[in-house]
Order: sequence, then structure tokens, then C-alpha cells
Amino acid sequence: MAGSDQLTVERGVPDFLGRPGPTAFHRLNPLTKATLATMTAIAAVVLGGLLGPIVLVTCAVLLPALVAGVFRQLVRTAGLLALPIAVSAFVVNLFFFPGAQQVLVRIGPVTATAEGLAFALEILVRILTISGAVTLFYLTTRPADLVLDLERRGISPRVAFVANASVQTVPAMVDRAAQITAAQRARGLDTEGSLWRRIRGVLPIVGPVILGSIAEVEERTMALEARGFTRPGRRTLLWAPSDSAMEGILRWGMLLALVALIAVRMTGTWR
Amino acid sequence: MLMRWIAALAAFVIVIVIGMVSIGNFGTGVDPDNFFDTEGANSFALIGALALVVAFVVYAAVEYAQTRSFASIARQFDTRTIVLIPIAVAINIILGATVANALKIPIYLDSIGTILVGVLAGPVAGALTGFLSNILWTYVIPPPFQNGPAAAFGIVAVVIGVLAGLIGRAGWLRPRPNRPMAQLGIGALITVAVILGMAWLAYLGWTSEAFGGTVNLDVAGSDAIFTVLGWLVLVLVAGTVVGLLAVLFIRRDLTAAYVVVAGLGTGIIAALISAPISANVFSGVTGGGTDFLVAALRQAGADIGAATLGQGLISDPIDKITTFFVVYLILAAMARRTIARFPQGERLLEKGSEGEGSEDGEWRGATS
Amino acid sequence: MTLSLAGVGYRYAGASRPSLDDIDLELPEGVVVGVAGASEAGKTTLCLVASGLAPRTVGGQIRGRITLDGEEVDAWPMHRLSQRIGIGFQNPATQLSQVASTVFEEVAFGPMNLGLERDEVVTRTWDALATMGIDGLADRDPRHLSGGQQQLVAIAGLLAMRPAHLVLDEPTAQLDPAGTRLVADAIARLARDGAGILVAEQKTDLIAAVASTLIVLADGRVVLRGPAAEVLADPRLPELGVPQPSAVRLELAAVAAGVGEALHG
Repeated sequence: MAGSDQLTVERGVPDFLGRPGPTAFHRLNPLTKATLATMTAIAAVVLGGLLGPIVLVTCAVLLPALVAGVFRQLVRTAGLLALPIAVSAFVVNLFFFPGAQQVLVRIGPVTATAEGLAFALEILVRILTISGAVTLFYLTTRPADLVLDLERRGISPRVAFVANASVQTVPAMVDRAAQITAAQRARGLDTEGSLWRRIRGVLPIVGPVILGSIAEVEERTMALEARGFTRPGRRTLLWAPSDSAMEGILRWGMLLALVALIAVRMTGTWR
Repeated sequence: MLMRWIAALAAFVIVIVIGMVSIGNFGTGVDPDNFFDTEGANSFALIGALALVVAFVVYAAVEYAQTRSFASIARQFDTRTIVLIPIAVAINIILGATVANALKIPIYLDSIGTILVGVLAGPVAGALTGFLSNILWTYVIPPPFQNGPAAAFGIVAVVIGVLAGLIGRAGWLRPRPNRPMAQLGIGALITVAVILGMAWLAYLGWTSEAFGGTVNLDVAGSDAIFTVLGWLVLVLVAGTVVGLLAVLFIRRDLTAAYVVVAGLGTGIIAALISAPISANVFSGVTGGGTDFLVAALRQAGADIGAATLGQGLISDPIDKITTFFVVYLILAAMARRTIARFPQGERLLEKGSEGEGSEDGEWRGATS
Repeated sequence: MTLSLAGVGYRYAGASRPSLDDIDLELPEGVVVGVAGASEAGKTTLCLVASGLAPRTVGGQIRGRITLDGEEVDAWPMHRLSQRIGIGFQNPATQLSQVASTVFEEVAFGPMNLGLERDEVVTRTWDALATMGIDGLADRDPRHLSGGQQQLVAIAGLLAMRPAHLVLDEPTAQLDPAGTRLVADAIARLARDGAGILVAEQKTDLIAAVASTLIVLADGRVVLRGPAAEVLADPRLPELGVPQPSAVRLELAAVAAGVGEALHG
């Protein structure tokens, strides 16, 4: 039988677990990267105007993206993410900014205003910063690594399980929906066309996907309990992402910087 | 035991006071036209939600200090619930993303999973489902499903989960078939009244000053978008009304009325909490179909706080009533056995239909 | 270690009639016991009761005695019992933990839950992979494997718990012929290596290949019991809803055609 004769072979934790990332930024502890993304997103909201967010996005999003070698991907993905919002923001604010005086151009029944444009730009930069920060995290971190790190620091294994399983279930459910869609199409279901048709087409897919997933709950529950899932307390981790004192200081530093920023903004000492 | 609740209540009140003082809205007075102070109401709900979270943490901390465990919370998290939550999160994200990105109608449909877990397993489980859905939706899910603004609304999802848990615990979603016509009549009255009330609100929104004071159903210029959206929402509302009335009269099930009230209440509270977030963080623009509704209200002269609140009060109740109705349908389709094994399952089944059976003599249930 | 069921009955929550009644069963180590019967005869229920999932996880009530080496296990929590008796199910996909991105982590899931020392977890995982012959799949994503391979991974995950007994509920029911062969061979290997296995199957060919003892259920009761070869040749099988294995059907057909001698000669 394979393996049993190879007593001299070192069979430790396999090396395909926890392979380190390609760049220094990738190799940062996932909590550090999450902190960066969150603090940046919040700061983007707290900072008003145009200059602040632009400096912020350059330092906290674009530069790290260059270091991590994901710059082009980031711009593409964050742009995609921000696109629907950007379009909304522009249309809504450019043309419908209440109380605006400076008219730029009239297009038929609607008027574009300068105040609206300025406001729209502010929102755009803010939204691009937030989506950029979040996308940078997503591109350089495996969610399972973050959950593992949190579990090492003490969150309940059950919460960790839920987080990990949720991440895996979304694509699994989409695949299932795709399969059911293909099967329904073969039976003549119309999924293109007018909005009404599309809504009607969505229903025979949503039903089986949701009910099918829920029907599996009983089996999955039994399978988990058959593998010791009910045991209370911590479980053994095969590996965990590395961390350093430096990074700990960095994280606290970011948090303090944000608190200071909020305090400064609230007391109005800076625009 | 009492200590925990007192500590939690104290924390709740303290946070509210601190919040009100620092925002300073309480003293701006009542607007005689609106009968309530929009600014104050806005922030109050958000502060209330934050206070709720802090109170929960305090409760858990006191329980831990007393008993070295989180028993009352852990009870809501048996294996079955833990298996359901990821499925619920996926349902939230997939349906929500479809509506936000592809359908562009002013509802969300991103809470079906949260409310399902809430009614089946309890408030904390529901809250976790909502929170996790929003966080993952922003940070971890790849495009095309990713939704940037979602994480900021995490607290709204938490409160929805808590409300669903309490509604389930109170037995509101227990089927009540074969009721006498008198009860059904009252139920139908409530249902239709609520639906018509909201439809009227939507109608008001559409006939705001932007369109010259009349509903112009002719497709013309930029009004077209809003008219189409309006029709869509009315269709959805009509569909839910038809469905609810069908449940009410064909199955003679009174719970349809409970569904409507639950959805209305949850929707209003959700709107109150999400409005200030939408207004202050995103200036009313979150990328979904609701943006146009906000724009229409602002065009009618409302400031951004009132516009987001107005939009919320139109979209959220419709969304939540539809969601609760869908959850009720899902429960109807689930096997009784499965529902019964959830922590709050007993409260979702018809009275007296399920039981562990009498422990007569030699028959015994699980002891571990 | 012997698992014993004596006079065991079981009824699901809210049911008026019991699904199992008066079941006597001995499962020593090193013996493979087959369970056959029409659908709804109680095969799955028997598997759930033997493994302890009923009544712990699925609710309901039992009566009778279930003992491991004479010790009653009523009060044992599921995570303790799962280290003595492992149970595998039909659907390979729903047995995946959904939190593992490699087969190695999937198989290690059980030992990790038990909180064992890390070296112990790793050793058990490699051993289980080796026993099922899937070392080569260790770094693969379990979601992208074939049904048969996933079923092997699921059984490996059970073996990592180091149970004395395995209960398998129709392990090949949802597999294609290739997968069925994979899993059937693995079960035969396990049996040869001395595992105590209770396997419920519709496919009597599989039972014929691996089981030494066979019981047949009907309406929740044991109606036939004995050495596998004998029971499989029993003419009452078809009326009990159990398809006869191909060898037996071949024999009967040959005898009916008057060439029975030729088959044996």
C-alpha cells in the first residue's frame, strides 16, 4: 500500500499548505491588510473635499498595489466595482443637485451644474478610494487565511467555520444556479429579453436553488457531527499566517491615526 | 441572571445619551408640517442600533464573567444552524447582487437569508448572518457580485436579524390555517390597508414637484426612467398582495396578516437606521435602483437626509414584506422534521402538529 | 471492540409507528455485515441508530440497549461516539466540510476538531490517505474531484478519526460505474485489513463481494439473517424487494434453462 513502506520519508505538514505570497505586501499578516483596507475606507468618508481622498488613495491604495504587483488588476477590478455607483453618482448629482446656481450646459429638460459636478467628483473619488482599498485586500489575501489568523487569536472555531463555509458556498450556489439555468433553458425557459421576461425567468431557477440548498442542511449536519464537530473548545490548527511585533505596531498606528483624524474633523480644526 | 439584563440596559441607555449629546439633534424641535424631526429621528435610530450592539457585548461580557461561558448565546448556534448560515449568506449575496446590479429596481432583496436564520435560530444567529453577509459582500466576494457599500450597512443587517429572531420567537410565523371568516376578514383588512398605504406613499413620491404635480404615464424625456421603475414596483407590490391574499383566503391562513405587519415594522426600522448611513457616507448613492428614487426626492426639494429617509420608507417596507413572505413560503416548503430540530423551530410549526412523542416507558430521547 | 444492538427500536419525532423494531445486531471488529432491504425498509435508519446520530442529531426516540464492549453508550455525546463509530453517506458532495481547499485539510478536519496534537493530526491524515490509496490527491481541491474520488475522501476523513467500526449507508448509490468500482474496491481492502463494517446497500453485488454476514430488513424488522452466501441465495429475496446479485440470477437462469451442470462443471 502506498506510503506505508516509506518510513524514512518525512511526512510533516505538507508544503502546499500556507504557501507564502509572491511579494512582501502579500506576505503581510492578513489582519494587517484588513486593517489597512478598513481604515482607508473609513478615512475616505471622514475626509472631506477632493485633495485629502486623492492623497489617501495614492498612499494607501495605489502605492501598495504597485509594490504588490497588482496595480493593473486593481484599477480594472476596482473600476468595475465602482462603475455602477459612479454612473449613478454622476447622473444623480450632475443633473439633479438641488439649489445649484452655476449652470454648465442644458441637455433637453435637464441642466448640468457646476456645484453638481464638484459634488459628483468628490463622491467619485471617495467611492473609488473605498472600492480600491477593499479590492487591494481582496486581491492580496485569501479569505481563509484571514479567518485562520482570527481563529488563532481566539475567535470561536464555529464562527470561523461559518465564515469559511460562507465564502465557499457563494460560488458553489452560483454554479448550481448555472446548472439549473442550463437545464431549464433546455426545457424552453426564456432568460433573455425584456425585464419582465427576465424576472419571470429568474423564478424557476431561484426556487430550486434555494430549496435544494436548504434540503441539504440535514445531511450536512449529520456529516459534520460524525466528525467531531460538536466537541466544545478550541481545535488544532495545522498552520497559521505569520505575524510580527512590527506589524502589530503598524496596526495600532493606523487605528490611532484614524481616531485622530476623526477627532480633528469633529472639532472642526481642519477642513 | 438579572444582573446581565440590567448591565445591558444600562449600557444601552448610556450609549444613547452619549450619542444624542454628541450629535446634538435632540434640541432642534418639531417641525409642525412633518410631525416629527427628521434629523433627530434619522440619527436616533442609528444610535439606537449602535447602542444595541454595545448592550449585547456588555450582556455577553457579564455572562462570561459570571459563568465562564456564553450558554444563552451558544444555544442558538447548534450544528444545524451553523450549516444553514453559510447557505443563508449566499442567498443574501446572490439575490441582493442580482437586484442591485442587474434589475435596478428600488428594492434590495438581500435579507431573505438573514430573516430565515433569525426566525429559525434566534436573534443572535440572525444578527451574525446579516453582519457576515454584508462584510463578506464587500471584502471577500469577487465581482460581478461584489458590492462596495454593503459593509457600511452591516449594522442594519444586524438589527434585521435581531428583529427576525424576536418575531420568530413570538410565534408570528406559525401557520394559522382554517380560521373563521371573521378573523380572516380582519386580517385581510390589515393586509390590504398596509399595502395600499405604501402604494399611496409610492404614488406620492412619483407625483412630487419634479413632475409638475401629476403622474405623467406617457413616456417622455427623463421622466421615463422613474415611470418605468414606478410601474415595476407597483407590479411587485401587486404580486405580493395577490400572493398574500391567496394565502389568506385560499389556505385560510391568518398568518399572512402577521407577515405584512412583521415586514412593515422591520422595514420602517431598517429604513430609519440605513438612511443616515446612506446620507452621510454615500450621499444617497449606493449603485442600486434606489439611487434614482433618492434623486427624484432631492429634486422635489428635500435635503439629502430627508431624501434618503423618504426613499427608505418607500423601498424598505415593500422589500421586507416581500422578504418575510418569501421566508414564509420557504418554511412551508421545508420538511416539518427539519424545521422542528432548529432552536426556534417549534414556534414555526402549527400548534400540536409536532412533538417528541410521549416518553412512555422504554422510549427515550437523546440524553447527550 | 464489539458494537451490540439488543432489542433496539427507533421512531422519528412526531411519528406514530416506529421505523425500527426489535433489532438485534452484533458487529465485532474484522467482520463485514451487510444490510439489505427495499427502500424505506429501515436501512438508513439502522445506520443512523448504530452510529449514534439517531437520536442525538436527528431527534426521535429509541428503546433497547446499544453497547460498546458491554458499556452502554446512551450518555456519550456525538463527538465521543464518532471516535468509535464512523458513518458515511450516499451523497459525496454533502459530506465535504466546505472549509477545506485541499484533500489533506479535508481529511484532517475530524482530528482537528478533536483538538489532538498537531503531529498526531498530521500522522492520522497521512495514514488515512494511504489506506484509501489517495495520497496523490492530497493537494487537490475536493470540490473538483469525481463522485467516486470524493467518496474515498469522505471515508478517509472518517478513518482519520480512528474508529473501530464503520457504518456506510449506500456508499455507491450516487456514483457512476467507475466510481462504484473505486469505492467497492476500497471497501473490500478495508475489510481485508480487519475493519468492522456495517454496509447498507441496494446493490447486492457489492454485498456479495465484501460481506460475510447479511441481514435483510422489511418494515423495520430483521426478516432474514445468516452468512451472506446463504442469504443471497434465498428465494424470498425478490418478494422482499431485494434484487438478487448477478451471480445468483445467472445460476438460477442456467438452472431454469437446464444447463446448471455446465455452470459448475
